[in-house]
Amino acid sequence: MGAIQVPTDPRLFRLAEGDECRPRLLGSHSPESNLYFWPRRLRCPVTRSAVTDIDLSPEGVLYAWTFLYVPRMGSISFGDRGGYGVGQIDLPEGVRIQAPLLGTTDDWQIGSPMGLTTFPVGRDDDGNDLVTFRFEAVR
Amino acid sequence: MATKLARDVYVIGVGMHRFNNERLASAAMADVAGMQALDDAGIGFPEVGALYNGYLGGGLTSGVGIAKEFGLTGIPVTHVENASATGSCAFGEAVHAVAGGRVDVAMALGFDDMNRMGGLGRSGGRRMGAEDVMLPAAFFAMWATRRMHDVGTTAETFAAIAAKNWNHARANPLAQRRADHEVTIDEVLGSTMISYPHTSMMACAAGGGAAAAIVATREVAERLSSGRPLVRVTASQQRSETYTDGHVFLGAVIGPAQMTRDTAGDAYEQAGVGPDDLDLVQVHDAFPVEELVYYELLGICGDGEGDRLVAEGATRLGGRIPFSTDGGLTARGHPGGPTGLAQIHETTLQLRHEAGARQVQRARTGLCHMAGAGSVCVVHILQRTEG
Repeated sequence: MGAIQVPTDPRLFRLAEGDECRPRLLGSHSPESNLYFWPRRLRCPVTRSAVTDIDLSPEGVLYAWTFLYVPRMGSISFGDRGGYGVGQIDLPEGVRIQAPLLGTTDDWQIGSPMGLTTFPVGRDDDGNDLVTFRFEAVR
Repeated sequence: MATKLARDVYVIGVGMHRFNNERLASAAMADVAGMQALDDAGIGFPEVGALYNGYLGGGLTSGVGIAKEFGLTGIPVTHVENASATGSCAFGEAVHAVAGGRVDVAMALGFDDMNRMGGLGRSGGRRMGAEDVMLPAAFFAMWATRRMHDVGTTAETFAAIAAKNWNHARANPLAQRRADHEVTIDEVLGSTMISYPHTSMMACAAGGGAAAAIVATREVAERLSSGRPLVRVTASQQRSETYTDGHVFLGAVIGPAQMTRDTAGDAYEQAGVGPDDLDLVQVHDAFPVEELVYYELLGICGDGEGDRLVAEGATRLGGRIPFSTDGGLTARGHPGGPTGLAQIHETTLQLRHEAGARQVQRARTGLCHMAGAGSVCVVHILQRTEG
């Protein structure tokens, strides 16, 4: 593995910094409507007023999940068997995120706490580790 | 407020090439559907004032290329694309072209082959994004698991809806999936699991096909009717999403469920009818949880009561309010561009009482609903009037 991790899309999330133990999704806040959004918006979609950039909470609650019995997720192959979980996670700001899930079906209960993490999906042209985000059950 | 269409609009002709998984040429299928619609209407292409082509794949100029086979009449030919709702939107454009006075006769033609497309769920070749992991199967499966949590819906209920639609398709010679036996709930549950709790027999049939509809003014429709009952388009409504709690901006396959309730409300108001007036309904049943939820969002029953409708058999042929009478996306098929027009084809046949073994008795009012990726919802209401 390369020494440097690079987000697949730095507009969507950033890696953990300093003493943070989890990465952050990059969202927007509308002071006028007091609504939060992800990904970042150019303006509030409800009031059309200005928004500010914020980092969203890295933990939330599982709203729904499924397990896909297909062998590929993007460019990642699981071979002839296997698959992957995906879920919808509600963050405390009122934002619902769709993302892959770490673990097995036994790990996922609707209403249970989930935390943001990353996993490798390949390397970029400079040999850096490309990582994207997913959620895992918080124990 | 949804106002009535400025001019009355009637479906005067429909045509359809059988949906299939045989990799047939889209242009050839489109020609069959288009010519059938012209023959059904009793007109030639020179009488058509505008053509709206609905397709997702096929290339930039496919629509105008196909139109050249119908005749070089110089009419405006327009490509319409709105994901799964493409055919419904092409039909809506044709309806509004007539209603608004642009032309007296307009044609909507949908053609596609879902097996030849990229799009949602494509794999490999570039940096992975959220759209790569959120296949439609996963998105709707999460609708299902959440409903199981909230309402107590069982996998058997989802399988019952899918089996119903498979069995409806047995009476439809234009359907892609035609079982040679009565499909059972156990058979659906026992098919390959693709995204819990959805199995392969619950997933819509992706394939190819074509469908067409021609709409016209009352004057034209009455001139051509020859005593055949007329089918009037009493509502043509389309919406995108509004903000809802738990709004998903990235990775949502379609917009919030509320979009269907709002669009249907607009359509009922425009047509001057309500859910109790409907005799049959076609919906975007890409997965059975959708059809189940749409029972409620269309006002056929109260929230959380859809499971009871399934248990009672209310939505099967012979029931109180049959849904997906031609097999729906589940079994009639879902090629993309023509899917919404296949709903118009089916509803028109039903309202003329020409649907053969799957005829809904005394059908007078039908609703067609389609949802499309991104954020599209289209609802049309068609009603029979005597010519």
